[in-house]
Amino acid sequence: MPRSPFPSVVSCLALAAFAVAQQPPQFAAPVRLQAGGKLLGEGRLYPSPVAHDVNSDGRLDLVVGDLRGRITVALRTASGYAAEAPMRAADGKDIDFHNW
Amino acid sequence: MSPQFVDFDADGRLDLVAATFDGSPKWARGTAAGFEQPVHVLDRDGARIVMNAWWNFDAKKWDATTRCDPPGAADGHLTSAWACDFDFDGDLDLLLGDHRAGQVMWRRNDGTSARPQFAPQNELVQADGKPLVVPGTVTTLRLADVDRDGRDDLVVGSMGDAYGDAPGGGVTVHLDGGDGKVRRFGPPIVWVEPSAKGQAAPTRPDSGLYMDVVDHDADGDLDLVVGAYSHWTPPVPQLTAAQQQRAAELQRQLEALEQKVEAIYAELDRATATLAEAERDAKFRELLSARQPELKGLSEQRAAAERELDPLVPGVKRQSFVWLYENVTPK
Repeated sequence: MPRSPFPSVVSCLALAAFAVAQQPPQFAAPVRLQAGGKLLGEGRLYPSPVAHDVNSDGRLDLVVGDLRGRITVALRTASGYAAEAPMRAADGKDIDFHNW
Repeated sequence: MSPQFVDFDADGRLDLVAATFDGSPKWARGTAAGFEQPVHVLDRDGARIVMNAWWNFDAKKWDATTRCDPPGAADGHLTSAWACDFDFDGDLDLLLGDHRAGQVMWRRNDGTSARPQFAPQNELVQADGKPLVVPGTVTTLRLADVDRDGRDDLVVGSMGDAYGDAPGGGVTVHLDGGDGKVRRFGPPIVWVEPSAKGQAAPTRPDSGLYMDVVDHDADGDLDLVVGAYSHWTPPVPQLTAAQQQRAAELQRQLEALEQKVEAIYAELDRATATLAEAERDAKFRELLSARQPELKGLSEQRAAAERELDPLVPGVKRQSFVWLYENVTPK
């Protein structure tokens, strides 16, 4: 079967998808998140957030690590985030990635 | 230290993995009772996984090694790790970020996730056909399928100038154009421009951008949650003549206090200059300890002067926050 001199619909769509993927998303101006009425991460050394459903309630909570190796959890609520609390280890102490 | 929830030992429970400034990844095993306290991830020879710089907990000092260097590596300091099956062989390897030179490397697991055998050396991660070096150096890494093509892409946060006026950090993405057997990361696509700083108020994360990629508002697209420092300088107020005079006095006081602190350290340097290295460090710490009351007093004086000066001549503010970048790309 002779090959068409024109690109197929599939290859055009693939090219279009590739071109879209090369463009970064559009983001709204950043806003500071709050937890329990306070600015989340304020005063922490290099706060590093990760979203994770800590309490398995179907909502993504924010877990925040920092330079010192401490981890806090801000549970997601219907209206925002509850106040940060230290993440505890099985030994009952704060989990501690004890840094240098 | 950017924590990751992942079943690192393949026992069906989530564990925590994170690298810290000590130069190595650690993991906290998840158990029925919760997480155990973290321990270092070790290679197959029982050695810590590092780049070059590492904190020696026994000697309580920074050390350096080249034992993990792949060919072509620059001097690096591992401070971020992300567990993922980098080579598609069914077990979890470690993706590693470099705080010093901006390299991205990975550590191959030749065992299984349940019985890991991490190789003794790192391997360089390539992007756009060459070893990836992140301008501003790496804060944290993610593998996430940001373009929804079934392949995980590389998302990298950068530090930038953490204290000064030089450009800050940003977030870049390298799309994976590989075949599902080998990763082929493309050139950087900027998601968050490195900050130019200079704002009069905290309007964005400026340095040390630790991002996570997540559908925060559950609208089907990926947003960014970013922990970082903001740098800003409030506008200078109109001062009376008396206030101007007081500001000048306080600035002179601060300069004098700084000179006193520098003089103390110079004195300690002179007192220990002729000693051998190990002895010098110990003697320096001993002499420094003896001068702590004096240094504390100077520090308190400096803090008081800065507190009084700041409303008159606002200095650069630097504070950490967690920011949300909501994805508003038209669908």
